Amino acid sequence: MTKEPVKYFVACFESVSHVMYAERILKETHVLHKLIPIPRAISSNCGICIRFLPEHREIFENTLAGKVEGFEIRKL
Amino acid sequence: MSEPITINAKGLDCPQPVILTKKVLEAHDDVVVLVDNTTAKENIKRLGSNAGCSVEVADEAEGVFRIHLKKQGGAASCSAPPEYPCCDADVPAAPVGPSVFVIASDTMGRGNDELGAVLMKAFIHTTTELEAGPDVMVFYNTGVKLTSEESDVLDDLKQLEEKGVKMLVCGTCVNYFDLTGKVAAGVVSNMYDIAGILSRAGRVVQP
Repeated sequence: MTKEPVKYFVACFESVSHVMYAERILKETHVLHKLIPIPRAISSNCGICIRFLPEHREIFENTLAGKVEGFEIRKL
Repeated sequence: MSEPITINAKGLDCPQPVILTKKVLEAHDDVVVLVDNTTAKENIKRLGSNAGCSVEVADEAEGVFRIHLKKQGGAASCSAPPEYPCCDADVPAAPVGPSVFVIASDTMGRGNDELGAVLMKAFIHTTTELEAGPDVMVFYNTGVKLTSEESDVLDDLKQLEEKGVKMLVCGTCVNYFDLTGKVAAGVVSNMYDIAGILSRAGRVVQP
Protein backbone atom coordinates (compact mmCIF):
# COMPACT_ATOMS: atom_id res chain seq x y z
CA MET A 1 0.00 0.00 0.00
CA THR A 2 1.44 3.35 -0.99
CA LYS A 3 1.34 6.26 1.38
CA GLU A 4 -0.69 9.24 0.27
CA PRO A 5 1.50 12.23 -0.53
CA VAL A 6 1.34 15.15 1.89
CA LYS A 7 -1.01 17.75 0.47
CA TYR A 8 -0.17 20.56 2.85
CA PHE A 9 1.85 21.50 5.87
CA VAL A 10 0.58 23.76 8.60
CA ALA A 11 2.64 25.92 10.89
CA CYS A 12 1.22 26.35 14.39
CA PHE A 13 2.45 29.36 16.37
CA GLU A 14 2.60 30.28 20.04
CA SER A 15 -0.10 32.91 19.73
CA VAL A 16 -2.35 34.57 17.20
CA SER A 17 -0.08 37.62 17.38
CA HIS A 18 2.77 35.43 16.12
CA VAL A 19 0.49 34.22 13.30
CA MET A 20 -0.32 37.79 12.28
CA TYR A 21 3.33 38.82 12.40
CA ALA A 22 4.37 35.79 10.35
CA GLU A 23 1.59 36.47 7.85
CA ARG A 24 2.81 40.02 7.37
CA ILE A 25 6.34 38.80 6.62
CA LEU A 26 5.11 36.09 4.26
CA LYS A 27 2.96 38.61 2.38
CA GLU A 28 5.80 41.10 2.02
CA THR A 29 8.08 38.39 0.66
CA HIS A 30 5.36 36.86 -1.55
CA VAL A 31 5.57 33.41 -0.02
CA LEU A 32 2.37 31.53 -0.88
CA HIS A 33 0.40 30.64 2.21
CA LYS A 34 -3.09 30.61 3.65
CA LEU A 35 -4.50 31.34 7.08
CA ILE A 36 -6.86 28.61 8.28
CA PRO A 37 -8.30 27.53 11.63
CA ILE A 38 -6.12 24.87 13.27
CA PRO A 39 -7.61 21.57 12.05
CA ARG A 40 -9.42 19.61 14.76
CA ALA A 41 -7.16 16.63 14.14
CA ILE A 42 -4.19 18.71 15.29
CA SER A 43 -5.69 20.65 18.17
CA SER A 44 -9.06 21.30 19.70
CA ASN A 45 -7.96 24.83 20.56
CA CYS A 46 -9.63 27.72 18.86
CA GLY A 47 -6.55 28.78 17.00
CA ILE A 48 -5.33 29.92 13.63
CA CYS A 49 -2.44 28.42 11.73
CA ILE A 50 -0.72 29.00 8.41
CA ARG A 51 -1.05 26.40 5.67
CA PHE A 52 1.43 26.01 2.84
CA LEU A 53 2.40 23.53 0.15
CA PRO A 54 5.16 20.96 0.80
CA GLU A 55 7.27 22.44 -2.01
CA HIS A 56 7.24 25.79 -0.21
CA ARG A 57 8.49 24.42 3.09
CA GLU A 58 12.07 25.52 2.64
CA ILE A 59 11.27 29.08 1.61
CA PHE A 60 8.64 29.26 4.34
CA GLU A 61 11.10 28.31 7.05
CA ASN A 62 13.91 30.42 5.62
CA THR A 63 11.70 33.49 5.38
CA LEU A 64 10.62 33.27 8.99
CA ALA A 65 14.00 32.19 10.36
CA GLY A 66 15.29 34.60 12.98
CA LYS A 67 12.10 36.66 12.78
CA VAL A 68 9.41 34.45 14.23
CA GLU A 69 10.39 31.79 16.74
CA GLY A 70 8.72 28.81 18.25
CA PHE A 71 6.44 27.54 15.55
CA GLU A 72 5.79 23.92 14.83
CA ILE A 73 5.26 22.45 11.38
CA ARG A 74 2.81 19.57 11.02
CA LYS A 75 1.57 17.51 8.10
CA LEU A 76 -2.05 17.95 7.18
CA MET B 1 -76.19 12.79 1.83
CA SER B 2 -74.55 12.07 5.19
CA GLU B 3 -73.88 14.67 7.83
CA PRO B 4 -70.30 15.91 8.21
CA ILE B 5 -68.18 14.56 11.05
CA THR B 6 -67.79 17.29 13.69
CA ILE B 7 -64.58 17.73 15.66
CA ASN B 8 -64.83 19.82 18.77
CA ALA B 9 -61.32 21.24 19.11
CA LYS B 10 -62.30 24.12 21.36
CA GLY B 11 -59.98 24.65 24.28
CA LEU B 12 -57.31 22.39 22.82
CA ASP B 13 -53.74 23.59 22.71
CA CYS B 14 -51.79 23.59 19.50
CA PRO B 15 -50.97 21.38 17.68
CA GLN B 16 -53.88 19.18 18.83
CA PRO B 17 -56.59 20.75 16.59
CA VAL B 18 -54.51 20.21 13.45
CA ILE B 19 -53.49 16.69 14.42
CA LEU B 20 -57.09 15.73 15.19
CA THR B 21 -58.35 17.22 11.95
CA LYS B 22 -55.66 15.52 9.92
CA LYS B 23 -56.55 12.12 11.42
CA VAL B 24 -60.26 12.52 10.80
CA LEU B 25 -59.67 13.81 7.26
CA GLU B 26 -57.79 10.65 6.42
CA ALA B 27 -60.94 8.61 7.00
CA HIS B 28 -63.72 11.05 6.12
CA ASP B 29 -64.53 13.35 3.22
CA ASP B 30 -66.71 15.86 5.03
CA VAL B 31 -65.50 17.35 8.28
CA VAL B 32 -66.48 20.30 10.45
CA VAL B 33 -63.98 21.59 13.00
CA LEU B 34 -64.82 23.93 15.87
CA VAL B 35 -61.92 25.95 17.22
CA ASP B 36 -61.65 28.96 19.50
CA ASN B 37 -58.46 30.65 18.37
CA THR B 38 -57.35 32.24 15.11
CA THR B 39 -54.00 30.41 14.91
CA ALA B 40 -55.78 27.04 14.89
CA LYS B 41 -58.34 28.40 12.42
CA GLU B 42 -55.66 29.55 9.97
CA ASN B 43 -53.68 26.33 10.27
CA ILE B 44 -56.74 24.13 9.74
CA LYS B 45 -57.73 26.24 6.74
CA ARG B 46 -54.26 25.69 5.30
CA LEU B 47 -54.39 21.98 6.10
CA GLY B 48 -57.70 21.75 4.27
CA SER B 49 -56.41 23.60 1.20
CA ASN B 50 -53.26 21.47 1.09
CA ALA B 51 -55.40 18.33 1.34
CA GLY B 52 -57.49 19.38 -1.65
CA CYS B 53 -60.62 20.28 0.31
CA SER B 54 -63.06 23.12 -0.08
CA VAL B 55 -62.79 25.34 2.98
CA GLU B 56 -65.62 27.38 4.46
CA VAL B 57 -65.28 29.33 7.67
CA ALA B 58 -68.15 30.71 9.70
CA ASP B 59 -68.51 32.26 13.15
CA GLU B 60 -70.19 29.64 15.30
CA ALA B 61 -70.41 31.77 18.42
CA GLU B 62 -68.37 34.55 19.94
CA GLY B 63 -64.72 33.58 19.53
CA VAL B 64 -65.59 30.18 18.08
CA PHE B 65 -64.99 29.37 14.42
CA ARG B 66 -66.66 26.63 12.42
CA ILE B 67 -64.46 25.35 9.60
CA HIS B 68 -66.11 23.11 7.07
CA LEU B 69 -63.67 20.99 5.06
CA LYS B 70 -65.00 18.96 2.17
CA LYS B 71 -62.84 16.83 -0.06
CA GLN B 72 -63.04 17.69 -3.71
CA GLY B 73 -62.71 15.24 -6.61
CA GLY B 74 -61.31 11.75 -6.03
CA ALA B 75 -60.77 10.85 -2.40
CA ALA B 76 -57.40 9.32 -3.16
CA SER B 77 -55.92 12.69 -4.07
CA CYS B 78 -57.20 14.35 -0.93
CA SER B 79 -55.09 12.94 1.86
CA ALA B 80 -53.42 15.55 4.00
CA PRO B 81 -49.69 16.00 3.61
CA PRO B 82 -47.92 13.59 5.99
CA GLU B 83 -45.69 16.18 7.60
CA TYR B 84 -48.00 19.02 8.16
CA PRO B 85 -46.26 21.65 10.29
CA CYS B 86 -47.26 22.14 13.86
CA CYS B 87 -49.69 24.98 14.39
CA ASP B 88 -48.12 26.13 17.63
CA ALA B 89 -46.98 29.67 16.99
CA ASP B 90 -44.30 29.30 19.67
CA VAL B 91 -42.61 26.39 17.92
CA PRO B 92 -40.82 27.62 14.81
CA ALA B 93 -41.33 25.49 11.73
CA ALA B 94 -38.27 24.35 9.80
CA PRO B 95 -36.93 27.23 7.71
CA VAL B 96 -38.24 27.13 4.18
CA GLY B 97 -36.26 29.98 2.64
CA PRO B 98 -32.60 29.86 1.68
CA SER B 99 -29.80 29.96 4.22
CA VAL B 100 -28.11 33.33 3.77
CA PHE B 101 -24.68 34.22 5.12
CA VAL B 102 -24.24 37.97 5.43
CA ILE B 103 -20.67 39.22 5.12
CA ALA B 104 -21.06 42.84 6.13
CA SER B 105 -17.39 43.50 6.80
CA ASP B 106 -13.96 42.20 5.91
CA THR B 107 -13.36 41.66 9.61
CA MET B 108 -15.12 39.41 12.13
CA GLY B 109 -16.21 41.01 15.35
CA ARG B 110 -15.40 44.43 16.70
CA GLY B 111 -12.39 45.62 18.62
CA ASN B 112 -9.22 44.91 16.73
CA ASP B 113 -9.36 44.99 12.93
CA GLU B 114 -6.12 43.10 12.41
CA LEU B 115 -7.41 40.25 14.53
CA GLY B 116 -10.85 40.61 12.93
CA ALA B 117 -9.34 40.15 9.45
CA VAL B 118 -7.64 36.94 10.54
CA LEU B 119 -10.88 35.65 12.06
CA MET B 120 -12.85 36.45 8.90
CA LYS B 121 -10.37 34.55 6.73
CA ALA B 122 -10.72 31.56 9.05
CA PHE B 123 -14.51 31.87 8.99
CA ILE B 124 -14.73 31.94 5.20
CA HIS B 125 -12.37 28.99 4.93
CA THR B 126 -14.42 27.03 7.46
CA THR B 127 -17.61 27.85 5.57
CA THR B 128 -16.35 25.67 2.70
CA GLU B 129 -16.40 22.70 5.07
CA LEU B 130 -19.74 23.28 6.80
CA GLU B 131 -22.47 20.66 6.56
CA ALA B 132 -25.18 23.26 6.90
CA GLY B 133 -23.48 25.82 4.71
CA PRO B 134 -25.05 28.76 2.94
CA ASP B 135 -27.28 28.76 -0.13
CA VAL B 136 -26.56 32.42 -0.67
CA MET B 137 -23.82 34.76 0.53
CA VAL B 138 -24.35 38.50 0.55
CA PHE B 139 -21.39 40.87 0.67
CA TYR B 140 -21.72 44.51 1.52
CA ASN B 141 -19.76 47.41 2.99
CA THR B 142 -16.10 46.34 3.44
CA GLY B 143 -17.26 42.73 3.02
CA VAL B 144 -17.09 43.28 -0.76
CA LYS B 145 -13.29 43.52 -0.52
CA LEU B 146 -13.25 39.77 0.16
CA THR B 147 -14.60 39.13 -3.35
CA SER B 148 -11.94 41.17 -5.13
CA GLU B 149 -9.19 39.61 -7.21
CA GLU B 150 -6.67 40.51 -4.48
CA SER B 151 -8.62 38.81 -1.72
CA ASP B 152 -6.92 36.22 0.45
CA VAL B 153 -10.09 34.14 0.52
CA LEU B 154 -10.84 34.17 -3.20
CA ASP B 155 -10.06 30.46 -3.60
CA ASP B 156 -12.51 29.63 -0.79
CA LEU B 157 -15.22 31.77 -2.36
CA LYS B 158 -14.66 30.19 -5.77
CA GLN B 159 -14.90 26.76 -4.18
CA LEU B 160 -18.21 27.75 -2.61
CA GLU B 161 -19.47 29.04 -5.95
CA GLU B 162 -18.53 25.74 -7.58
CA LYS B 163 -20.63 24.02 -4.93
CA GLY B 164 -23.59 26.12 -6.06
CA VAL B 165 -23.55 28.91 -3.49
CA LYS B 166 -24.98 32.08 -5.00
CA MET B 167 -23.06 35.25 -4.13
CA LEU B 168 -24.46 38.74 -4.28
CA VAL B 169 -21.95 41.57 -4.07
CA CYS B 170 -23.23 45.08 -3.33
CA GLY B 171 -22.60 47.23 -6.40
CA THR B 172 -22.71 50.52 -4.50
CA CYS B 173 -20.02 49.23 -2.17
CA VAL B 174 -17.89 47.95 -5.06
CA ASN B 175 -18.07 51.41 -6.58
CA TYR B 176 -17.29 53.13 -3.28
CA PHE B 177 -14.15 51.07 -2.70
CA ASP B 178 -13.07 51.52 -6.32
CA LEU B 179 -13.28 47.80 -7.03
CA THR B 180 -15.25 48.07 -10.27
CA GLY B 181 -13.97 45.39 -12.65
CA LYS B 182 -12.00 43.75 -9.85
CA VAL B 183 -14.73 41.57 -8.35
CA ALA B 184 -13.62 38.00 -8.96
CA ALA B 185 -16.29 36.02 -7.09
CA GLY B 186 -20.07 36.33 -7.15
CA VAL B 187 -22.18 38.74 -9.13
CA VAL B 188 -22.28 42.48 -8.62
CA SER B 189 -25.81 43.07 -7.46
CA ASN B 190 -28.14 45.73 -6.14
CA MET B 191 -30.18 46.51 -3.07
CA TYR B 192 -33.38 45.11 -4.62
CA ASP B 193 -31.79 41.67 -4.89
CA ILE B 194 -30.03 41.91 -1.54
CA ALA B 195 -33.10 43.09 0.37
CA GLY B 196 -35.20 40.55 -1.53
CA ILE B 197 -33.04 37.56 -0.62
CA LEU B 198 -32.74 38.70 3.01
CA SER B 199 -36.52 39.05 3.27
CA ARG B 200 -37.06 35.54 1.90
CA ALA B 201 -34.29 33.90 3.94
CA GLY B 202 -35.10 30.92 6.11
CA ARG B 203 -31.95 31.53 8.13
CA VAL B 204 -29.54 34.45 8.25
CA VAL B 205 -26.02 33.99 9.60
CA GLN B 206 -23.81 37.00 10.18
CA PRO B 207 -20.32 36.39 11.55
